[in-house]
Amino acid sequence: MEVENGEGQVQVHLKTKQEQYAVPDVPYAIEGSVSTTELNIFLNALLQSKGAESVDFDFLVFDEYLRGRLCDHLREKAISFEDSIEIEYVERFPAPEPQDCLLHDDWVSAVKASGKWILTGCYDNTLNIWTYKGKHKLTIPGHTAPIKAVDWISLDNENGRFVSTSQDQTAMMWQWNIASNAVECVSVCKGHERGVDSVCVSPDAQRFATGSWDTMLKIWSAELEDAGESTAKRAKESGVRTPRMTLQGHRESISAVQWMDNNTLLTGSWDHTLKVWDLNLEGIKTEISTNKSIFDASYSKLNNLIVTASADKNLRLYDARTNQGSVVRSTYLGHNAWVQTVMWSITEEFLFVSGAYDNQNKLWDCRSPKAPLYDLLGHGEKVLDIDWSNPKYIVSGGADNTVRVFKSSKATVENMETK
Amino acid sequence: MTKKRTVKRKVKEPEPTKEQPSVSEQSDNEEDEDLLQAVKDPGEDTTDDEGIDQEYQSDSSEDLEFESDEEGNYLGRKVSNEAEEGEDDQDEDDDEDEDEGEDEDDDSDDDSEESDADDASPTPKDDQSSSSKAAAAQTKEPIIQIIPRDPSKPEYEESDTSDEEDIRNTVGNIPMHWYDEYKHIGYDWDAKKIIKPPKGDQIDDFLRKIEDPNFWRTVKDPMTGQEVLLTDEDIALIKRVNSSRIPNPEHDEYAPWIEWFTSEVEKMPIKNVPDHKRSFLPSVSEKKKVSRMVHALKMGWMKTTEEVEREKQQKRGPKFYMLWETDTGREHMRRIHDPVSAPKRDLPGHAESYNPPPEYLFDEKETKEWLKLKDEPHKRKLHFMPQKYKSLRAVPAYSRYLRERFLRCLDLYLCPRAKRVKLNIDAEYLIPKLPSPRDLQPFPTVESLVYRGHTDLVRSVSVEPKGEYLVSGSDDKTVKIWEIATGRCIRTIETNDVVRCVAWCPNAKLSIIAVATGSRLLLINPKVGDKLLIKKTDDLLAESPNLDVIESERIKTAVQWSNAEPDEQEKGVRVVITHFKPIRQVTWHGRGDYLATVMPEGANRSALIHQLSKRRSQIPFSKSKGLIQCVLFHPVKPCFFVATQHNIRIYDLVKQELIKKLLTNSKWISGMSIHPKGDNLLVSTYDKKMLWFDLDLSTKPYQTMRLHRNAVRSVAFHLRYPLFASGSDDQAVIVSHGMVYNDLLQNPLIVPLKKLQTHEKRDEFGVLDVTWHPVQPWVFSTGADCTIRLYT
Repeated sequence: MEVENGEGQVQVHLKTKQEQYAVPDVPYAIEGSVSTTELNIFLNALLQSKGAESVDFDFLVFDEYLRGRLCDHLREKAISFEDSIEIEYVERFPAPEPQDCLLHDDWVSAVKASGKWILTGCYDNTLNIWTYKGKHKLTIPGHTAPIKAVDWISLDNENGRFVSTSQDQTAMMWQWNIASNAVECVSVCKGHERGVDSVCVSPDAQRFATGSWDTMLKIWSAELEDAGESTAKRAKESGVRTPRMTLQGHRESISAVQWMDNNTLLTGSWDHTLKVWDLNLEGIKTEISTNKSIFDASYSKLNNLIVTASADKNLRLYDARTNQGSVVRSTYLGHNAWVQTVMWSITEEFLFVSGAYDNQNKLWDCRSPKAPLYDLLGHGEKVLDIDWSNPKYIVSGGADNTVRVFKSSKATVENMETK
Repeated sequence: MTKKRTVKRKVKEPEPTKEQPSVSEQSDNEEDEDLLQAVKDPGEDTTDDEGIDQEYQSDSSEDLEFESDEEGNYLGRKVSNEAEEGEDDQDEDDDEDEDEGEDEDDDSDDDSEESDADDASPTPKDDQSSSSKAAAAQTKEPIIQIIPRDPSKPEYEESDTSDEEDIRNTVGNIPMHWYDEYKHIGYDWDAKKIIKPPKGDQIDDFLRKIEDPNFWRTVKDPMTGQEVLLTDEDIALIKRVNSSRIPNPEHDEYAPWIEWFTSEVEKMPIKNVPDHKRSFLPSVSEKKKVSRMVHALKMGWMKTTEEVEREKQQKRGPKFYMLWETDTGREHMRRIHDPVSAPKRDLPGHAESYNPPPEYLFDEKETKEWLKLKDEPHKRKLHFMPQKYKSLRAVPAYSRYLRERFLRCLDLYLCPRAKRVKLNIDAEYLIPKLPSPRDLQPFPTVESLVYRGHTDLVRSVSVEPKGEYLVSGSDDKTVKIWEIATGRCIRTIETNDVVRCVAWCPNAKLSIIAVATGSRLLLINPKVGDKLLIKKTDDLLAESPNLDVIESERIKTAVQWSNAEPDEQEKGVRVVITHFKPIRQVTWHGRGDYLATVMPEGANRSALIHQLSKRRSQIPFSKSKGLIQCVLFHPVKPCFFVATQHNIRIYDLVKQELIKKLLTNSKWISGMSIHPKGDNLLVSTYDKKMLWFDLDLSTKPYQTMRLHRNAVRSVAFHLRYPLFASGSDDQAVIVSHGMVYNDLLQNPLIVPLKKLQTHEKRDEFGVLDVTWHPVQPWVFSTGADCTIRLYT
């Protein structure tokens, strides 16, 4: 009866990995019906005795976020009320705040942030560079078809280099002089037979990989001077670059490319597979078969997990270390439509963001499969690309011709400091 | 003892010659006499006589006692009885006895010559002692025999005299020829041999015959060998016997009849004793006996005479039986074994009540409706109008009573005589066991994208063979090219007329869309995808091969090929094929060189086949077989499917002949789709049906699916997955699993999977076209709501 009513008392241990919020490891008896709010008040009361400020916490019970009443959670996990329960608490990830809205002339299909710059690719065949403050820096025409993906190669105070791919079957490498605000097309990478959907620059900025609708994965040199090739001379003259490597294996369009390290590539394709390529071997290392077309895949170095986006509203988590098979670690259901884009945080181990055709971005904690941490509203149309390369900002571009910038408040302080 | 006593008595009787035995003396001689008796009469059975005597004696026990006291002799009692009677007139009795005895003697013993002279009393004694015959006579008259003995003295005297003369033989009743060899003929009472009398020779006989006047009446006694002279009485008796007359001469044969017992039946009972109770009760033992017999009959242990007779008959003769049952006989048996019960009437419902619940009473509308159907009463839901009465008492006489009786009689009279066997089959059992849709994944389940941009109903949609782009044609006179993944409209091509049909060239090496707009067929280069291909296609279409083919007038008037005008060239239009009538449908051959168009109004030139590389058109049919709805190329074979309103004809394009005609049995065909392997055809009809034809199996549908609630507009097979989809005016797209097995023996498996109903209804139209993504299990549908929708 106690269990039914949730009236029973539960013995809990409160723990944290964040030293500054540690409380003495004493068992507390609390009502089973408590939810996060009450636990927060309780914990803050404990901490206040130490003279700390009031902080919001999230609570993890057996590695999963507590979202409702504690008793419900325990019942669902089939955990006995008799045991003493260990509750881990973490400082709640602060809600990202919408900061800016960058207006474009057409759909924004690619965004990439680096430093304080935001690079966007647009369906009107142009690239745009913005600052986080929302100041439009530059519009770069050049492509003859909608741009599908962009990525920064390098960025320093004087120069920035980036690559963009387009449906015109090419990838273009650009050099941007920040001071003069002049951009120059270093080279045009020709070789794909159809639109190039995805691009990613290797961590050492030496190479970049592109995936295309012609099912090919091509590796290109990201150097300014593409040396060591017989056609170098001609290439230099014309500015045309040919692929270093062409990898065939997918049967459908490659929609996602990401470097796992300098020699390993992860690709996701419409042919329902994720493939890990070893560039030394020039072959497939691992293949993960799924049963849905993959529109985007993201790999996190922090936890070796791959999260994929597909048309059935679900985000799926795969373990990159599995050799074969398609064991879905968890499924995140929250979006209402086709999920187009997904990206791990590069600093937070458990967080990732996703953008979908239901006009929403969502911030997820991979320990909370039932509900996202936050919904990032703002887009009036489909979200086409999302980026969290800069931990301080979540940037997304959509079919409403805007780029939305969400500032994660955790970073705000530091950001302000840097300014 | 009785025996002994009788013996004694008998023995005594002949004895008087030797001594005068007193009653007391008898016991002394007992033993001797016994022995004698044994020798004398070994076969004598006197027991009967004596037995009777005894009984008689025991009845009159008083007399016995009296006698025994008086005489000390047990036998005396009879004597005493008789003595009482006969003391007075003893002599008279004796005389009478003698007479009678003589008569008897004559009858029984021929040989008693001297018995005539003798007293009556010894004669019987002799008779008794010598022969055992005439037992009956003895039993009759024991008294008579004994009477002369008791007043013993005169009797003995008589017997003495007669005894001397009488030489009796004691050999008994044996054949006398046994003694033929001996001199003697037997033994007398004293055991002395009786010597045979000297036998005279024939001369002596003769002499005697001469001398003796009585010779004729002299006979020889075989027992003694003595000659006996027959008396006159004897002779008279013999004569009477010889003449078969009653031996007794005194018997009057003609004496008047004395009726001691009347022969007339008395009317009144002689005795008035009522019948015994027993005579009214049935006999228990009889009953038991009968029941035993009945049981035996039942068990078959016993058979009635009838049955026995029949069995015998059967055993005897040959057997015959009916080879065929007669119809009437069968009917007869059916009536016995399987009678048709009278049809049951429905039980009255609430409406029949005299006081029905208010909801059963007609309101005005219902009343009106009921009255309106006056001419066709069978169409009424109820044959009466429910009415409410306050009480049962208030209910008037039922006016329809007679009529209902009559109808009931009709029911009974006209009820079907054939008995319908009711199959008790669970409905679930009849439903084929289909796999769960969960096991048939992947298939589209949700609407993922909506492609908006058209301003009028979208008639047709077609997907690029690689699956990146989509083309749609709409009534707003535009053709739009879309990027599938994002829903972005890449290009809009305006035409001059309503776009009825678009078809992307299935050959991935060509970048051409065929667009049927009005009476023109446009071949458009969509300029998406591989740039090289785009250029190649442009080059291919730019120059018209100048083949001097003489085209017939018939084709010339129907079709004209031309390059597009410059303003249209800019939009991407490369070639225009102008038809003489509005085009309804265009379809590509799998290789992308041929395409066929349909003009329903074109009469016998409705279907045209164009060859792109040669820019040539053909009219495959010279005669119109009906209003052609759509045409289709076989994916593998050179076959051409032509759907008219009702039927589908399959032609061989090489041999130019009709292969097969599929009978759809539907009113109006709307579309066709062929399975990529080419053996199965799916047909949609405006009468809500989808027909699956197995072309190897039959010309009739393998399966008819009635999944939609309204006209089915379009069907489509997936190229890779075992899926097909149908779009209907009920705004639904129904996705089904349609597995075709390589094993020819296995029939296709059809499982409806999912109904996707997101299109809006506009002007009675729902979904107009459905198309599958060439690679993914995604289905596109176009609707009257100006949208194209993608379901994944």
